[in-house]
Amino acid sequence: MRASRQLIAAFASLLAVVSTGAQAQAQAGEWVSYRDAYRAMVQFEKYGGPKNLLQSQLQVQSRDHAGLGEGAQLTLTGKATQLNLTLDALGRTVFPLQKAAYDENAALVLNRKGMPFVLRPQVTIAPRADGQYDAADLRTACAQALGFVRYVDASQRARQCAGVRFVFPKKEQAGARLRHADGGEQGLPVTSGAAFSGDPDEGFPVVTWRFATGPDKGQVITYNAPLAIVPIFE
Amino acid sequence: MNKLLFLALSAACGTTWAQTPATNPMPDGSRDMYVGLGVQSAPRWDGTGSRKVSALPVLQVQWSNGLFISGMSAGMHLTDSPTFEYGPLVAVQPGRDRTGTGLEFDGVGSAGTTLIGPVPEPIDKRNLRGTGLDGMNKIGARLQGGVFANYYLTPQWRLTSSVLYGAGNDHDGARLDLGVQRLAFELGSQHRVSVSAGVSIVNRNYNQTYFGVSLEEAARSRFSSYEAGGGLQEAHVGVRWNWAVSPSWMLTSNLQAKGLLGNAAKSPLVERSTNMTVSTAFAYRF
Repeated sequence: MRASRQLIAAFASLLAVVSTGAQAQAQAGEWVSYRDAYRAMVQFEKYGGPKNLLQSQLQVQSRDHAGLGEGAQLTLTGKATQLNLTLDALGRTVFPLQKAAYDENAALVLNRKGMPFVLRPQVTIAPRADGQYDAADLRTACAQALGFVRYVDASQRARQCAGVRFVFPKKEQAGARLRHADGGEQGLPVTSGAAFSGDPDEGFPVVTWRFATGPDKGQVITYNAPLAIVPIFE
Repeated sequence: MNKLLFLALSAACGTTWAQTPATNPMPDGSRDMYVGLGVQSAPRWDGTGSRKVSALPVLQVQWSNGLFISGMSAGMHLTDSPTFEYGPLVAVQPGRDRTGTGLEFDGVGSAGTTLIGPVPEPIDKRNLRGTGLDGMNKIGARLQGGVFANYYLTPQWRLTSSVLYGAGNDHDGARLDLGVQRLAFELGSQHRVSVSAGVSIVNRNYNQTYFGVSLEEAARSRFSSYEAGGGLQEAHVGVRWNWAVSPSWMLTSNLQAKGLLGNAAKSPLVERSTNMTVSTAFAYRF
């Protein structure tokens, strides 16, 4: 029993030392393991299904849903790695898949002290430079996104593509119009909402185009480049 | 992402059912490794009320080609599908001597227990033997081989299964483990809790080795002879708490409750059918 007590005492001492180290780490900033993020983000790369109309990004969300604020930046930091990852207005960045960062067990650190955060993979439809989206392409892109979602989550197999959501920057004139196959055009209503379900900021200009009510042929033309084109599954 | 942050850090002694870590895609030529040490309080053998505190080595390694070592198990993921995992599995079944299962850190001063069963000349036997498994045949550690298959109902819920063969004195014990796991509830930014439950089904040879008492053993021990048949052997539930202290350091703690069932529960070696194992360990991530 004496040996057991010594063992427990030694472990308690180690616990105290590591706890002190943890407090110092917390003061330096919140972090997420690069390896853990890599596991999530590399799935899109490994996915063998059609995905040419899609893009994958890493989104940072504050855990308390307070929003990240202006100037938020994620830094990939390790012994030999230092890479700043600028976040867009939706808190997203392109995730760098780096063997060197993986091997040195790097961390992703947010420049917001005391703000716990989570990372989420977000697969969206890639925006086009000309801002013109064929209805058929949007359906195909949504189907591609659904294919990927079903690949990573078996419980999503019953869901279907319902439409797409164009999310625009707040400070620009936002909107889109529908050009019918006969050349006629009609404006699409702009509402206010969140880019992704669960996002705390519900103030982005949003144009939602539903496949069930939209024509099979035609084009959606955006006035400005959207921040994101989000597939809608129901 | 919750699923992907799950870790199945396993003890190198104590937990007997094989664990398989989640698929871990990584760059070619890379590996993800945890090595650590902690303490564990566990029954000296399945079914006893006598406990021991021992050092607990922790080891989990995953390589980019799918190979993994997780505690006493090793195997290979033959698919990188996010929803279905399968592959070959080998696991070391700890041996058992008169002091109990696995490594013995604190081998003296075991607590007395009540005699069970119609033991002839109980007073003489009690004087002759203290407690423990005196008189029982020693069981060597065994390497078992088999397969595993896991299916994800959602990224958070995983159904697990494994079949292993080769345990027991004659290397002919077989064991089927079926379970369900809820992976990684996030509690605070660096704390994650996962829960699991499962049952184990074994063949007669397995049960007879670990819960049976031969006539020979009965003659020289405090236990009456017992023929243990196969079937449902145990049900277990567990909670694992992982605290990522830093990108490199983790505190991993585990609580497992196990209830012996069927022929195993009726064994004279079993003083109490329900037992608890508690462990905590620091692990360094390389």
